[in-house]
Amino acid sequence: MTLFELVIRSMRKNIKNYYLYFFALIFSTTLYYVFAALQHDSSIMTATFADVQFASLFKVSGIVLLLIVVIFMINANSIFLKRRSREIGLYQLIGLTRRAVWLLLIAENILLGIGALLIGIGAGALMSRLFLLILMKLIGIETVINLSFSPTAAVQTAIVFALLIGLTLMQMLIKVYGTSLLALFTAERQGEHPKRPNAAVSAIVGLFSITMITTGYMLSGKEPGQELFLQMLVILASTILGTYLLFRVTIGWLFYSVRRSRNGQLGLKNSLSLAPVMHRMKANANSLTLITVLSAMTLTMVAIAYSLYFSTENESHVMLPYDFIFENKEQDSLAFRTDLEQAGIKFVHHPVDAIRLAGIYGNGENMERSTLLLGAEQLQLIDPELITPRQGEAIWYKGQKKAMGIEQDTVLYPQEVHLGTNGFQSVIRITEGIDRYAVNFNLNGRQLVITEAELHAIRDRMPLTPGQEIILLDTYQIADRNGRAEAASLYDKYAKAYRPTAPDFHSYYQESLQKFGLIIFIAGFLGLIFLIATGSILYFKQMTEAEQEKGVYTILRQLGFSEREIMGGIIRKQLFVFAIPLAIGLVHSSFAVKAASALTLSDIAFPAAMAMAIYTVIYFTFAILTVGYYRRIVRLAL
Amino acid sequence: MNDNNMKKTVLHAIQIRKSFGVRGNVQQVLKGIDLRVVEGEFVGIMGPSGSGKSTLINVLSTIDQTTEGKILVEDVDISNMKNAELSLFRRNKLGFIFQDYNLLDTLTVKENILLPVSLGKMKKKAAESEFQAIASELGILEIAHKYPYEISGGQRQRTSAARALIHGPSLVFADEPTGALDSKAASSLLGKMEQLNQQRSITIMMVTHDPVASSYCSRVIFLKDGMLYSELYRGSKSRQAFFKDIMNVQAVLGGDHIDTV
Repeated sequence: MTLFELVIRSMRKNIKNYYLYFFALIFSTTLYYVFAALQHDSSIMTATFADVQFASLFKVSGIVLLLIVVIFMINANSIFLKRRSREIGLYQLIGLTRRAVWLLLIAENILLGIGALLIGIGAGALMSRLFLLILMKLIGIETVINLSFSPTAAVQTAIVFALLIGLTLMQMLIKVYGTSLLALFTAERQGEHPKRPNAAVSAIVGLFSITMITTGYMLSGKEPGQELFLQMLVILASTILGTYLLFRVTIGWLFYSVRRSRNGQLGLKNSLSLAPVMHRMKANANSLTLITVLSAMTLTMVAIAYSLYFSTENESHVMLPYDFIFENKEQDSLAFRTDLEQAGIKFVHHPVDAIRLAGIYGNGENMERSTLLLGAEQLQLIDPELITPRQGEAIWYKGQKKAMGIEQDTVLYPQEVHLGTNGFQSVIRITEGIDRYAVNFNLNGRQLVITEAELHAIRDRMPLTPGQEIILLDTYQIADRNGRAEAASLYDKYAKAYRPTAPDFHSYYQESLQKFGLIIFIAGFLGLIFLIATGSILYFKQMTEAEQEKGVYTILRQLGFSEREIMGGIIRKQLFVFAIPLAIGLVHSSFAVKAASALTLSDIAFPAAMAMAIYTVIYFTFAILTVGYYRRIVRLAL
Repeated sequence: MNDNNMKKTVLHAIQIRKSFGVRGNVQQVLKGIDLRVVEGEFVGIMGPSGSGKSTLINVLSTIDQTTEGKILVEDVDISNMKNAELSLFRRNKLGFIFQDYNLLDTLTVKENILLPVSLGKMKKKAAESEFQAIASELGILEIAHKYPYEISGGQRQRTSAARALIHGPSLVFADEPTGALDSKAASSLLGKMEQLNQQRSITIMMVTHDPVASSYCSRVIFLKDGMLYSELYRGSKSRQAFFKDIMNVQAVLGGDHIDTV
């Protein structure tokens, strides 16, 4: 038998171990190709995103993508090598040189790699169009763009994966040359023996790990100071270290306490879940931490991205309650109105009276702030939900994003504001602050809504000096979406002079949609790969454990435990293995999302929960696959 | 032998046959074996390699199924039972001691021993007192909280024996229980088994190739080429005398070369 025949034979024999690895490899190749193709097709990128930021976003994401693929491949490969230790040892025992064994493994891996690469690029070429369509749909562009096969992307993919496979070959080299025969034969049986943990040390370390994590959570809830970067670093470090210790010590200690309380009467389910998990706690602490951190990162990334995308429209409304506003530009407003009528667009035009003047706010800062006074009754014609304050009182439509706020949210209400300069004085009590805008955010001044009577009274008493002016806002609301888009193009010619400072709702919304559409696209893309990588690593690890525990199932079947009873214990074990990292990851990420929710004015609990639910569902399909694998093993155990 | 007839039959095998292989290449390993074991017997099964000892005990202990024949355990026919029924039957009625202990490495001695009653109806307190009794009888009470890797081979096998007895089985099967033990540990274990057999009148079937081990039995059955070859009762003989009898049968049994000479 030649070496090549041996390669083919051993591959055929190992196919059931390999198929998921092969599939995962194909999948990562496909996604990488799609990514590279999108990145390289400059026509699309320049056509769609003139902004340089997006190109760099793609670049950074590409690096992250690569990083996770590297972590995944090295992990998976080392698991497979460990599984095949005995086989490697056997080849050497029957007289193959180490070189020949290495060549054998190389040949196998290269065949596998080339296969995955070809299929992956092929699938990628087919899929990239689909992904492009998804992207276009997400960012709300409906033009048809053709995406042809990109040789540059293919070459880039090939090079990257060739390097990766090279990396795994190095791993094999170390394995074959660096491990003694005896170690090869006993590798499969390795597994540490659970020690009785020192109660005092465990309790201290356990408490410490929880303190670390809580510190991270508490820091994440605090307003970021000037040391934003440092703060983030501290949060990350303390949370990750806390998680590691949690796995390494706390959970083991918890399990040990539960077990001791059972006083020997462990029961079948715990014998198949608690005991073997405890048995491998030390060795698994690293990988479980890795999986938890990756899950938390992915969950956070996807949840935030989806929340931003989900609340784009709401957010735009909060920022720009009116489609168009002309401030003291009656000529333009009239011309725009004529344009709208000619184009046959349905609209509502409301003039709104306002006053802009300086005010000193009673929060002790003693500084003059530009303030915009608005009459509630007028605004209510468009926005019926707006509350009318009482005489002499005002509601402050702060609209500020919490994270961006210079002031703390702890400003106390009621708060007095002294309006006016140059001898004119008026005092209003602000009873409430609301996190949205009453009129478009770009209008200069803090938006205070008062009764119309009060507005008129102030207008009548107020001398007109620079910095104290009467303002007429011509607001336009367009009835439907299409009309809004058309109106936006009509608005263009007036807006040229002041577009950046006076955006209209439609353009602002489209721009946000593009921005967040691309972000959710990339986040979803990376999230999918992260998910597949973490899920596969867990699956491979469990596959190995299942093989190692084959003997245990034989014993149990002989003792008279049925397949179903044994599977009950195995399902509990899978719950531990899959659910604990996920649960901790979910808690981590919900704190991160909560911290990030300060970035937006909308309530993101729903979209974040949605994203997390979807993630959880896909994640658990790996658990189901694993249980299926165990079931086969248990069935064949007797 | 007369009093044997009066005692309750625990196991009754009628004309059991077992074949392996597929059509065209069938190998019959058990060629029609009849066997009857009554309560309180300690039966040894001996025979050269390939005589069908292990197949016989696998079939009797429901781990494997017969091709033909009937097996009754306490008058219940187990040859036609379904898989799930068999599992339950094994768990409630049978106990096992294996050559390589077959303890779970991840469980302590006590946890291993209590495993068979974990799904049963036995109350926690009852299980605990049963454990105390058996463990002290087998001398493993002090190591109850140790893991299998921390104890000696003899202790492991005694743990395995305790596990086989904890649920009060009708019949205990032991497959080469002393195969991996040194002679001192082996005789200590066999002594314990003999003692348990006599004091608690537990029925034991033990496969062994070691004449010393089988001399602890009350009856020894010899297999050859899948058939019953001979049978010896210890009666009131001393163990040493019984051992000599066993050796004599073995000399003939394993002595193909004698025939040819």
